[in-house]
Amino acid sequence: MDDSDEEYLSGITPSSRFSSIVPESPRSKEGVSTRTRARKSGTTDDNLKGNNGGYSWEDEYQRSWDIVKDDDQQGSFESMVQQIIENRKKKIMKNPATPFQRGIIRTLVIVIDGSNSMAEKDLRPTRLTLSLNYCIDFIIEFFDQNPISQLGIVLMRNGVAHLVSEVSGSPQYHIDKLRQLKIRQHNKFEPSGDASLQNALEMARALLKFNFGTTSNNTKNSKEVLMIYGSLFTSDPGDIHKTIQSLVKDEIKVSIIGLSAQVAICQEIVNRTNHEPKLSRSKHYGVILNESHFKELLMDFVTPLALTEKEKQEEASLNNGVPIIKMGFPSKVQPIVTSTIGNTDFTVEFPQLNASFPTQGSDESKDVVEVNTNTTLLSSTTIGYQCPQCKSRVTNLPTICPVCGLMLILSTHLARSYHHLIPLAPYKEVPIAESYDSEYCYGCQLKFPRGVKPGTHPGVLESMTSSRYRCFKCTNDFCINCDVFVHETLHNCPGCENN
Amino acid sequence: MEAISDRLFNEHTTDNLQDDPSLLTIILDVSPSGWFKIQNVISIQDVVKSLIVYLNSHLSLNNSNQVAFLITSPLKSKFLYPKLDNSNIIKDSVSKDMYRQFKIVDDIILEELNQFLNEMIDKIENNKRSTLTGAISLGLTYTNRMLTLDQSILTTTASAMTTTSLANSNQNSSNITSSSSTSMKSRMLIISANDDDDELTYIPLMNCIFAAQKMKVSIDVAKLGFKNSSYLQQASDATNGIYLHIENPKGLIQVLSTAFFIEPNLRPFIILPANSNVNYRASCFITGKAVDIGYVCSVCLCIMSKLPEKCPACNSEFDKKIIEQLNRVPQIRKKRKLESNGNGNNENNNN
Repeated sequence: MDDSDEEYLSGITPSSRFSSIVPESPRSKEGVSTRTRARKSGTTDDNLKGNNGGYSWEDEYQRSWDIVKDDDQQGSFESMVQQIIENRKKKIMKNPATPFQRGIIRTLVIVIDGSNSMAEKDLRPTRLTLSLNYCIDFIIEFFDQNPISQLGIVLMRNGVAHLVSEVSGSPQYHIDKLRQLKIRQHNKFEPSGDASLQNALEMARALLKFNFGTTSNNTKNSKEVLMIYGSLFTSDPGDIHKTIQSLVKDEIKVSIIGLSAQVAICQEIVNRTNHEPKLSRSKHYGVILNESHFKELLMDFVTPLALTEKEKQEEASLNNGVPIIKMGFPSKVQPIVTSTIGNTDFTVEFPQLNASFPTQGSDESKDVVEVNTNTTLLSSTTIGYQCPQCKSRVTNLPTICPVCGLMLILSTHLARSYHHLIPLAPYKEVPIAESYDSEYCYGCQLKFPRGVKPGTHPGVLESMTSSRYRCFKCTNDFCINCDVFVHETLHNCPGCENN
Repeated sequence: MEAISDRLFNEHTTDNLQDDPSLLTIILDVSPSGWFKIQNVISIQDVVKSLIVYLNSHLSLNNSNQVAFLITSPLKSKFLYPKLDNSNIIKDSVSKDMYRQFKIVDDIILEELNQFLNEMIDKIENNKRSTLTGAISLGLTYTNRMLTLDQSILTTTASAMTTTSLANSNQNSSNITSSSSTSMKSRMLIISANDDDDELTYIPLMNCIFAAQKMKVSIDVAKLGFKNSSYLQQASDATNGIYLHIENPKGLIQVLSTAFFIEPNLRPFIILPANSNVNYRASCFITGKAVDIGYVCSVCLCIMSKLPEKCPACNSEFDKKIIEQLNRVPQIRKKRKLESNGNGNNENNNN
């Protein structure tokens, strides 16, 4: 409905609505072409233009080896080193130091295109193989950063959606499924047919209804779909706009990575589900330039999404507060190797109850069933976790205790996201001076360079730094390596921890 | 043909046997309260004696093996070895009775330890939290330098040169963690007699654990004293290290040179003393006490042992209905007929 409205408007009054945004764009009578032109001149054109005003493809090709100048001056090389250091620095600064609300408990469905277009070899070896490889990397990284999140995988093939793996919190399960798919990609699951956006999205919507294994949807989790789309069209059984409507209603956010070119319907899905203005460029829809760009786009989805303004307002207006969840932190029960030889009294091994159900009633969950009736005799060879409330044992975490219904989780799972919650303040560079207080890096004990008197090395001084980065809480100085390590990996300031 | 393939095969196997150097970081917790409690069993002096034998045996395994020694107290944490300005000691460390590296390490550690303990006696205050996490952080930054940089580099300007080349190679291989200029292994041993778990800062310790996991540094723990420390248990369990509660520390040197002496990559092949059950308790954000069952804010995931109206970390208000539900005392119902069993289960879930 919205579409036809807009075409109608722009046809009748050509300069009323868009004229303020794009005054110079020539307007044609046909609605469709107006729309595309408006978008092009409004947003995309500026992005395509390079520094000197021309399009990037009109520029002379810049070879990476030309950047390093082949002259004998020490200065150019030194400034290049400096520049690379600065770039690393900027990378840290991208992580904001102010905490903001993110949807930490995520449920994500990855939709992979398995249609004809994925057999193309513009990505080596094929689009599908590369996508599967990157997805495996993505899953590992995703569960590292979002340990209590869940994930499912759907494949689009022959106009229908196939379920690759059910929504589950176990990374190994998904990786195994993707590996199986990879092995059989040339005989059973070779790319074929068309892709159907509607079928895939409807299946993803059905999968996302699950919430930590329960169908009750009382916790505010973020529900997301990440689609890797190689086709340029979709063949749907019904009206895709209805599907989009229901996605919006269910608060499912769709992100798409295009492998060939921008597709209008993808843009619409992304904009509608992410509550972004129509015809705007969204960071949730990216079209890849090359392999490394593909990986970059994919890895961007690892960090939890920040809540949008609209959601925050909704939450405030509803005024019924955020839900609070009761959780149990089970203790790990180690396998004890016992010998039963010569002691007939204890040869009877009680089967252990595997109480976790990560696959929700599929065949896998029926494999491992052992029951332990005697808690003092733990002669199991598998690692188990004991529910602190009812003392029943489960083998997989996180899960819901099948006996007492308590959500069981490892405290290390929760703690992984704490650095989003309590970010470490960035270090500040110490200004250049003749002499400094600190002689060694506080973290790794490296020796700092001494201060340089101004004027002794003309020309070089501009590119020199003090190489010291100071934490302003504990006033200790760190080298650039420690700075990067502390902010990207450790998330602790060693100096502040010692006070 | 056979001869050729045979030779190739042999070459391949010798390649696998390459002996990588390894870095051993020892963190000794000298918090006075813990050591006071076990004064009848063992003293710091005895422990340090055993540790020095342990360090020397590690150094003697491989010529390029490295050690680091950190000390932590409620006052502060500090590197004892490597010492920043060690030119004096290195000069007069030549002795005909002792391997030079042993003498350097032993002399520096003993001298610095004495100095540190004397300082601590003057400034000791009660009721200060442990700085063990600071020591682990320092150990990890030092490990990071040793793993990613050439060990011979001593100044930051030199390190900048190598890191840029490293960064370039990282971009090419697009695999940041696995590529490093030196193939060094690393592990960490914590010796603590501190019985009070609540003195440890929870979030920084968790951050340390994850950093160690990423760097593949195993954290081993030798716990003296009377109680198990559940946080240190979690640290060693998550990083694939060994946790041992040594109740009779007289034979400490034997434990050090057997269980703790094996490189992490060899551990799967050796039957080691089994970890006792690991208690994965979390820390309450309000009281700082360890909890088994807690309430978790769904926005920021902070853990609480009580039910407040507002989240202490992110300040968002909780749903009052849910709080009411959680506060409800479980009621024992009279037995009903079999039909209503399903309903009964659902209501239990909500409690």
